[in-house]
Amino acid sequence: MSDGQLTLPVAIVTKADAGRLLREVSAVDEFMDATAIRSPGTPMALPKTSRLMAEIVEVNKLNMLVAEDRANLITYVTHVREKAPEIHISFSAEPSAAFMQKITTYLRENIHPQILLQVGLQPTIGAGFMLRTTNKYYDFSMRTTLKAKRDVLMQNIRAAQAEPELQTAEVTPT
Amino acid sequence: MNLWGLIIILGSILASTAAFVWVALRLGPSKVKKNGSPLDDATAAVETDVEHIFNDEFREELRNRGRLHFEKIIGENAMFLQQDLRLTTSQLNDYMKQEITKSLQEAFAKYEESIGDAKQLAIDSIAKTQEAVEQQRVEMGNQLQAEVGKEKARIIARFEENLGDIVNHYLLIAIGDQIDLKDQLNYIIGNIESNKAAIIRDITDGS
Repeated sequence: MSDGQLTLPVAIVTKADAGRLLREVSAVDEFMDATAIRSPGTPMALPKTSRLMAEIVEVNKLNMLVAEDRANLITYVTHVREKAPEIHISFSAEPSAAFMQKITTYLRENIHPQILLQVGLQPTIGAGFMLRTTNKYYDFSMRTTLKAKRDVLMQNIRAAQAEPELQTAEVTPT
Repeated sequence: MNLWGLIIILGSILASTAAFVWVALRLGPSKVKKNGSPLDDATAAVETDVEHIFNDEFREELRNRGRLHFEKIIGENAMFLQQDLRLTTSQLNDYMKQEITKSLQEAFAKYEESIGDAKQLAIDSIAKTQEAVEQQRVEMGNQLQAEVGKEKARIIARFEENLGDIVNHYLLIAIGDQIDLKDQLNYIIGNIESNKAAIIRDITDGS
């Protein structure tokens, strides 16, 4: 099975998510291997799994009882964790999960199917976001926009400053 | 009366005394010639009468009178001498007073002159100091004015330079809690979409 045959669910956003998923899949795989060779009557603890694993199994219609599916999943998640492109995106406030899913969905549909995000918090930017790829940096924050439009702001301020003076001059009797 | 006057008075007294003594000695007892001529007899009689007139009592009386007169003259001259001494002392006192007063006045005049010079020097120095202080005040005022102008220009330039941050800060304070990320989703996706090609190229080539 190649990497392209599996789909990365939008719930897996960061590299930490991929790492956590890999640990869970590995634990399940080890559990299944241990189950195969265990002596009858030996007590065994079922590994705990998260919603991430359930989602990726469901999306890709995998059977975790099949060793090949488990191996493919481990290979895929390992590849994602180590090779998938990662971008850093910063917002002025902590984004909600739903918001991140929408962003992730868009990025995986339009940029790269396995892209991972690293989310940062920059309260000083006011609004908008900042995006950093491997070699580039995009700043779409309100702060930068206001800085870029400083001349317009200055023109407005000067116009507002001159307006009362004109009104005063009109009122003053000559 | 000075010392010479006193000496002259004493000399005249001594000369009078000497003359009196000489006269007395000349008129002393003479030998009566016996068996002489009538002239001699007359002379002898005269001498006898003279001896009779200027006898010892008369001489003693003359001596007493001379002594009294001499004492009187001595007393008078002593009084004159005392008066002269007092006068001299008084004049000497006046002279000393005048000299001391003169010296003191000269010293005071010099002292006043020195004080005047020192006062003038102090006044000149104070005037120069005041002038320097005034000049320095004017210079400091100008300098302060220039610094205030520079600072004002610098503050305005800094304000204009950081206008974006200032407005951003104001907006954050004013409506920061009303900015929702959900409302920005289209803006975010739109900006990513406009830079999609560059992002894909960077991810593909850069990683």
